[in-house]
Amino acid sequence: MLRWACRLSGLVIAAMLAALILVLANSALPAIRKFGAGFITSSEWRVNEIERPLRGPDGKVVMGEDGVVMEILPPAFGALPVIYGTAATSLIALVVAVPLSLGAALFLVRVAPRLRIAGPVSFLVEFLAAIPSLAFGVWGLFVLAPMFQNSVAPLLRRILEPVPGLHWLFFEKITVAGRIIERPIPLNGRDLLTGSLILAVMILPIITSVSRDVLRSVPRIQIEGTLALGATWWQSCVAMLRYARSGLLGAVLLGLARAAGETMAVTMVIGNNNQISASPFAPAQTMASLLANEFGEATDGMHRAALLYVALILLVMSLAFNVVARKLVVGRPSHAVH
Amino acid sequence: MSLSFKESRRRTASAFMYALCAASTLAIVTVLLMVAGYLAWIGASSLSWNLLTTVPTGDVANPGGMRHAIDGTIVLVLLAAMLGVPLGVLAGIYLSEYPEEARLTGPLRFIADVLTGVPSIVVGILGYELLVVPVSRLTENSISFSGFAGAGALAFIMIPIVARTTEEMLRLVPRSYREGSLALGATRSQTIFRVVLPGAFGGITTGIVLAMGRIAGETAPLLFTALGSRLLTHDPRQPFPSLTLQIYTYATGPYPEQRRLAWAGMLVLLALLFVLNLAVRIVAARQARGRLH
Amino acid sequence: MGVIRPALISALAAWCGATALASEVRLSGAGATFPAPLYTRWVSEYQREHPDVKIDYRSIGSGGGVKAITDKTVAFGASDAPLTEKEIAAMGGTDAVVQFPTVLGAVVAAYNVPGLNKPLQLTGAVLADMYLGRISSWDDPRIKELNPGVALPALAVTPAFRTDGSGTTYVFTNFLAEQSADFKGEVGTGKQVKWPLGQGGKGNEGVAAVIQQTAGSIGYIEHNYAVANKIASAAVQNKAGKFVSATVESVSLAGEGAATGMKGTVLRADAWNQPGEKAYPISAFTYVILYRNLDNIKAGADARALMAFWWWCIESGGKYATEMEYAPLSPSVRDAVAKALGQITHAGNPIPAGR
Repeated sequence: MLRWACRLSGLVIAAMLAALILVLANSALPAIRKFGAGFITSSEWRVNEIERPLRGPDGKVVMGEDGVVMEILPPAFGALPVIYGTAATSLIALVVAVPLSLGAALFLVRVAPRLRIAGPVSFLVEFLAAIPSLAFGVWGLFVLAPMFQNSVAPLLRRILEPVPGLHWLFFEKITVAGRIIERPIPLNGRDLLTGSLILAVMILPIITSVSRDVLRSVPRIQIEGTLALGATWWQSCVAMLRYARSGLLGAVLLGLARAAGETMAVTMVIGNNNQISASPFAPAQTMASLLANEFGEATDGMHRAALLYVALILLVMSLAFNVVARKLVVGRPSHAVH
Repeated sequence: MSLSFKESRRRTASAFMYALCAASTLAIVTVLLMVAGYLAWIGASSLSWNLLTTVPTGDVANPGGMRHAIDGTIVLVLLAAMLGVPLGVLAGIYLSEYPEEARLTGPLRFIADVLTGVPSIVVGILGYELLVVPVSRLTENSISFSGFAGAGALAFIMIPIVARTTEEMLRLVPRSYREGSLALGATRSQTIFRVVLPGAFGGITTGIVLAMGRIAGETAPLLFTALGSRLLTHDPRQPFPSLTLQIYTYATGPYPEQRRLAWAGMLVLLALLFVLNLAVRIVAARQARGRLH
Repeated sequence: MGVIRPALISALAAWCGATALASEVRLSGAGATFPAPLYTRWVSEYQREHPDVKIDYRSIGSGGGVKAITDKTVAFGASDAPLTEKEIAAMGGTDAVVQFPTVLGAVVAAYNVPGLNKPLQLTGAVLADMYLGRISSWDDPRIKELNPGVALPALAVTPAFRTDGSGTTYVFTNFLAEQSADFKGEVGTGKQVKWPLGQGGKGNEGVAAVIQQTAGSIGYIEHNYAVANKIASAAVQNKAGKFVSATVESVSLAGEGAATGMKGTVLRADAWNQPGEKAYPISAFTYVILYRNLDNIKAGADARALMAFWWWCIESGGKYATEMEYAPLSPSVRDAVAKALGQITHAGNPIPAGR
């Protein structure tokens, strides 16, 4: 009796995963059929139809027998801008967060216990993990973004703009009527960079606490052995990191999965523009923020199917990250609550 | 000479990295204090009794309170827990107490772990496709966006978390307890209910409370399921308000008074989560100590 | 503990007891953010007279409103962009739908440029080029030329736009597309378009917030959002070549010229770029969308309550509209609306006007 109730509940978990994949795939089917794999590499996301004069390769309007020849651009749905946005924000976030987290994890394992502050610091880190992403979004929108807009970004521009080869950081290229124009990017503080930094802050706790657990399980003998051989504190740390590298990679991947799927905080600070710009100072959009912005209002069938296609890609991606991460952190206690 | 130079460089490098590690920890703690401190600072100055007792007025200059949203979050979390706790705990028991079914429990454990990493916005979209659209069709549109759909999406997030923490906590109960109980002639169900579950009760409760805290802070799963509302309602068949949805709406809007409410609402939410976290940890620590003595 | 528990229980009891119940009517609507401040006001004024009727209007954008009424998840939808033929077909064809204007509003070109001594004057062509990226600084010669004597700063222009499906976007892009062929060819018209640059915000609220927070920004929002948030907005050149600011009068004038052809149950009229020296050029009607047979509402009493509310809004809501910078419907448009509303039934029974 109990066995059956338990088994059934267990199977509910499997059913949940199946429902996720099947329902999203089924609803995304029209878009999958229409766009196929090209969806991932196409960079145009436009819901409306455009009718405009056809331009030749020279940028000039093509004239037909009865005047200007018109071309009709049907709505286009390509996921490249949001895939780019997700990848870029997640990677920048990792670059910022991983060294900090590993440093803190080492501190928590090797130093804090001796100073008797491991408990409070661990509590703080775990509370940081429990703060809702909305809180980071509100903080990002009203504290971080204005700070970037008013001081950090202008300072960076003053320092970096004269540096040869960094021109692209502060200028964007736009095509208007067949001609490419270049204009300075306004530094608004709500851009790819701010989105990335918010993500970095948000993945700090998970990477820190998982790495801490991974490092804690390194056999003492490993550390004591190196110390006995005359290694410095840092050299024994390096030995520890090397010993635990696959678990640490798992921790990083868990952070990456969280960053890629994070929605509210990013939506509030990233500027929400479906474009690919080389500069981190330009507004961007991630898969998750696109869904938060457009899913509720998508009336057109293909628009909705395309959004579900994006959701499916996001799901498959984060499942993949998670699967690999969990395989790497095998035998670790659950980090479900973080 | 060159050896001792190398040696001193080695020590300097080590000291430098030591300092860097300490600095990283300090940086992380500082960021936390900055976020929480700022929210507390601005939130506290906007906090009022009205926030907790009144509902939106419709006037942007004098927007009223967030009673509806606070109630909404409480009801949503309780509803989600009604579904998520039994399922999660039973699944957790299955994962831990039936080792002979490892062929099934092994993959299930892995799936549960992986499910905790599904982006919450995707859960929201699944909720819309699975709980809003079909229900709306079945009930001839008398129920569409609803508290039930929102609670369903939250339960989706909650179940794997509760299942995995329950399992972990059950594993902490010594094997000898189970063996003793079985040796005395108790059935497996009796052993689980009378011996194993009581032994892990504290830990499981902690896990459940933390999971409730986690879903109380979720916004994205509710965007397309509960949808939010400006009305005070306890009827989960209606579109349902939540603290997070209301804060999001107010924070991204232009009206200063509504933004103040967003700050204050966020403080209420954070205070709730902080107290939950702290209480759970104190209780857990006390229990751990009790077990030692 | 002994003291805390009873206190907790009584607090809990008080919490639950405060919920209203009784036989009240609850109706939900969703859609355009453009008229949302007014609809919210109408609802609260109406509730003063009819406390048993609770109406929950959620401003989620016109696109969302059309979706919600098509999916029948709400009692009424609201949109600033009239239904397209495809959307009407999805709802069951012209005979199944009632669409009526409630009020006129102005889409204003609102900007955040610190230190200006005078309100700006802009043309559609200049606005279009700001959104296309051709005008990238506020001291561009073309803006200077339109604003002699105004000290314009060398500040980067950040266009702000809507990320959600929006009737405001529909009106604004249609206006710009008439003024600039390049805009029409690059961005086009519609409720949701692809902007080549700038910052996105959700809803009129979101765009207003972006403008507030971004020095150098320009955005399109409903007039009320600019006034309520003290955001400056430009006088825009109209068809007659005059620069006109949005006011209740200048928007009403635009509506009068546009509304001659309203007939049937699906009423619509484009009010942008109307002739008339004093007409504000980016004016627009905003619409409510209902099913002609209100089968998306279960109870007959609920359907009657909904119609009573809209009759009240059309007949008595005008003064609140004026207070909030919207232009009430002219008598001739009101007549057309009354005729359309008279066609509405529930379960085959006609619903009498008024209450």
